Amino acid sequence: MQKKKKRHSFNFILGAVLTGLIAVMLLIGIFAMPYAPDAMNKSLKFAGISPAHLMGCDNFGRDIFSRVLQGLKMTLGIAAGTVCIGTFFGMVIGAFTGYFGGWLDEVLMRINDAVFAFPSILLALVMVSLFGTGKWNVMLALGIAFIPSFARIVRSEFLYQKNLDYVKSARLMGAGHLRIMFVHILPNTLPVLISSIMIGFNNAVLAEAGMSYLGIGVQPPDASLGRMLSEAQTYLFSTPTYAMFPGLVLIVMILGFSLLADEM
Amino acid sequence: MKYVIKKIGTMIFTLCVVCFLIFGAFSLIPGDPALSRLGTQATESSLNALREQMGLNRPFLVRFADWFVHALAGDFGTSYSYNMPVSDMILDKVPITITLTLLAFVLIVLVSIPLSIYSVMHENGPVDRGILILNQILMAVPPFFSGMLITFFFGIVLKWFVPGGFVSYKKSFSGFLGYMLFPAIAVALPKIAMTVKLFRKSLLQEKKKEYVRTAYSKGNDSRGVLYGHMMKNALIPVITFLGMVLTDMIAGSIIIEQVFNIPGLGRILMTSISNRDYPVVEAIVLCIAVLVIVVNFLVDVLYHVIDPRMRTE
Repeated sequence: MQKKKKRHSFNFILGAVLTGLIAVMLLIGIFAMPYAPDAMNKSLKFAGISPAHLMGCDNFGRDIFSRVLQGLKMTLGIAAGTVCIGTFFGMVIGAFTGYFGGWLDEVLMRINDAVFAFPSILLALVMVSLFGTGKWNVMLALGIAFIPSFARIVRSEFLYQKNLDYVKSARLMGAGHLRIMFVHILPNTLPVLISSIMIGFNNAVLAEAGMSYLGIGVQPPDASLGRMLSEAQTYLFSTPTYAMFPGLVLIVMILGFSLLADEM
Repeated sequence: MKYVIKKIGTMIFTLCVVCFLIFGAFSLIPGDPALSRLGTQATESSLNALREQMGLNRPFLVRFADWFVHALAGDFGTSYSYNMPVSDMILDKVPITITLTLLAFVLIVLVSIPLSIYSVMHENGPVDRGILILNQILMAVPPFFSGMLITFFFGIVLKWFVPGGFVSYKKSFSGFLGYMLFPAIAVALPKIAMTVKLFRKSLLQEKKKEYVRTAYSKGNDSRGVLYGHMMKNALIPVITFLGMVLTDMIAGSIIIEQVFNIPGLGRILMTSISNRDYPVVEAIVLCIAVLVIVVNFLVDVLYHVIDPRMRTE
């Protein structure tokens, strides 16, 4: 009798709960936004926490809860875009350099090393100063900054996998290089790729929040968690709750995701 | 020694590549610096004269060689928007950013190494568990938010420092350090958590190895085994990580400087980016790049000194 069911650790459950909380907030933000996030109401300026305004109101009398939901959508969207760009190009570069090797590998990996040595936030800053500010440019800049780390991971997986027997037998059966790379090897790199995507997603959330905090990411009147924090900083003395809520949501999101990623 | 020379060679090569990439990237931007300086009403002849004066008419490689030679001598040209030498603008800001980074680094080393050792010696004890939980949470707090929390608690509630009241190191060095301590804590907190996590794991892995059992059987007590045998091996991955942390913090300080209103490199970088003042951006990025490359070089050499296996190859 097999009664042994796979038990999930406490960390995994906590991570799932926190991520679930964020997912619920995201759904509320998409389908049931309580107030328009940029609706101003002078009489509600710095209104406290109440059933009508769960997190109170900001300096323009906008509902902070609605703005947090809006910011959450924005932050998650940008992070997802960043990770998509980084993974896609990183995967292609890593696959080709790892599979074929040779001078292309040598050249690309030298460049990769030089870029990888740089903190990604600095790279993104340079690119934003080239492309200009705004949410699309930040997504692009962070995406490019994330390519080297993904390329590195995929490349080392390809280097390892290409010598395994299943690749040889696929080649004996007459499969072409592209087919071997993307139909045979790629699915086998997924376990490694998925956990690095989750970590990359967290880093993207942090980087986006940082860029928006610096004022070069999402531009007003759009809300983003980082942007809200920089606006709230001026009122830290009078209305600390304005800063606490966006910050807390950010922490819950990153904590939930990193707990899940650890258990993957 | 041969290794160090080889590494210096690679370092210089990387530096040149980075210089070229930075200069190339900023030459690709559409837009004419002469036009933005004189405004759209400028006449064609005055524009041409300024372009000639700024050297914008020459071919790309000549401009690069010229810029590179001057940059080596510490001359980064003239700021577009302030009309003063870039080196004057950034030179007295470099110590601020470096102090912040080093202070945070010292904090990381001083806090995380004893904490991880304690946590490993009392594995699964209440303190160890507490540290693990705290670690997870600290890793999730973005440094600029912890900076705001620190400003709130230490600055506004406890009044240990004046938020935004930066003291220049030229005026009072102790006041400067006292103010910088708080941003340094904000930068250091998540990194401390990561270092403890890594070092603890590394120590626990070493603990399971055969040589540890041998060391015990030879009559060492647990302290002797830990400091005399395990420490050196367990530190190797931590050193690589700390090198990465150091370079990451040099860039991360850009954000923290904004939180604590510190007029360091980050501040000019941000204003220069929004003013499209490219010579300044180039110079700052290059400065940070040099710091990053030098740190990476030092880590490589240190690695070589600590781990004899690296020397045999």
